[in-house]
Amino acid sequence: MSNYIQTVVDKFELRVRRSFFYTEDDLWAKVEGAKVRVGVTDYLQRTSGDVAFVEIIKKGLSVKRRAEFGTLETAKTTISLLSPISGKIEETNEKLVEKPELVNSDPYEEGWLAVLEPDDLENDLKTLMSDEEYFGLMVRKLKDQYKSESG
Amino acid sequence: MKPNAPKKVIIIPCSGIGKAFGSVSRETTYEVIENLRKETADTVCLALLVSGDEESLHLVRNNKCITVDGCPLQCAEKNVRLAGGDLAGSFRVVDAYKDNRHLKPRAVTFLDHDGRQLAKALAERVAVKVDELLRTP
Amino acid sequence: MMSEQSEKKVGIISCSGEGCVEGTISRIAARLVLERLRPDTTVTICLPLFLAGGREERTFARDYPTITVDGCKKLCAKIGTEHYSGKPASSIIVSDFTPNGKHTELGSRRTLNQETLIIAEQIAERIAEEVDKILECWE
Repeated sequence: MSNYIQTVVDKFELRVRRSFFYTEDDLWAKVEGAKVRVGVTDYLQRTSGDVAFVEIIKKGLSVKRRAEFGTLETAKTTISLLSPISGKIEETNEKLVEKPELVNSDPYEEGWLAVLEPDDLENDLKTLMSDEEYFGLMVRKLKDQYKSESG
Repeated sequence: MKPNAPKKVIIIPCSGIGKAFGSVSRETTYEVIENLRKETADTVCLALLVSGDEESLHLVRNNKCITVDGCPLQCAEKNVRLAGGDLAGSFRVVDAYKDNRHLKPRAVTFLDHDGRQLAKALAERVAVKVDELLRTP
Repeated sequence: MMSEQSEKKVGIISCSGEGCVEGTISRIAARLVLERLRPDTTVTICLPLFLAGGREERTFARDYPTITVDGCKKLCAKIGTEHYSGKPASSIIVSDFTPNGKHTELGSRRTLNQETLIIAEQIAERIAEEVDKILECWE
């Protein structure tokens, strides 16, 4: 089985990584033992454009679930990144300083944003979507987008 | 370019049709070859290069080349390399954007004010590189 | 892979030849179709990316009908499409629309003037007609 659930819109393949958790704001969370790695989804990077800047709060700082922990800037837009879980920032992806395009080219792997030490993982995970649920949401968003652009 | 003509630097944009930065790459090239460095820079069509057009291949193999790419896929740089071109410089529109964050080109078909301004800013850098390359044997 | 949408779409593969005004006309015509005339039923394919092996571009061009728009008789878009994805459903050459085919008299390759913009719009209309024909025949 592929690591991804995929759909194709026009010429673009949009992928959702299996076994990750997701938010309605198009961020993903991957549980890695006692830590959680977070990033943005393929849908978000595709609809936002080429990433020019990624700014994440400093290591050691804490963030509440759904609070802003950083921003992602493209020529089209600046996106507020809302944390999938409450926790402390343990690590940020330093590669994104020089190569923010990794968010576009590899959003689920090399384009990760931060690693957090969770405050209450068990309860926070209950608020997140599964891969299949997020895939369904993504398809609905795409259809709504298509309808609004069609007028 | 005629045989025995003075050397020129060849600027190759990606001209990506799907993104505003693709249009900026194209406009940057025109600003250099038609305005800033009319006598010392020229362009060649990237599609012709990739298609293996002999005249275009000869041009890039016998003159120093600068590529201008609109997105991280860097089609112009990669394809000039593949064609065996003398790649002497490469620019990305996004890097010019990083120094000009207030400019947010939105239009693709006909560049808007911000797009034209970003192209001008990038063209200045490319022009400096053209001068540098022509000074170097 | 789940394909959620197999909607009827036509791919427009246009040259953007920087060296001549016909390349700019070709580009603008394709964009006018995408943005104004047939936004729901067309997709543009980036030619350099397509020729260089762009997977999404090639897959789309293989699976959906395409219209190629070339600025000149070197036919980069048409030949490339035939080679990598299959015969296009329709092919248009800009020089067939320019008066007497004399590009040196057409003006700037950087910015279209009134005359060349009209040519681009005429070509865009032709592309749109071809899109409609293709979609009518779609089964």
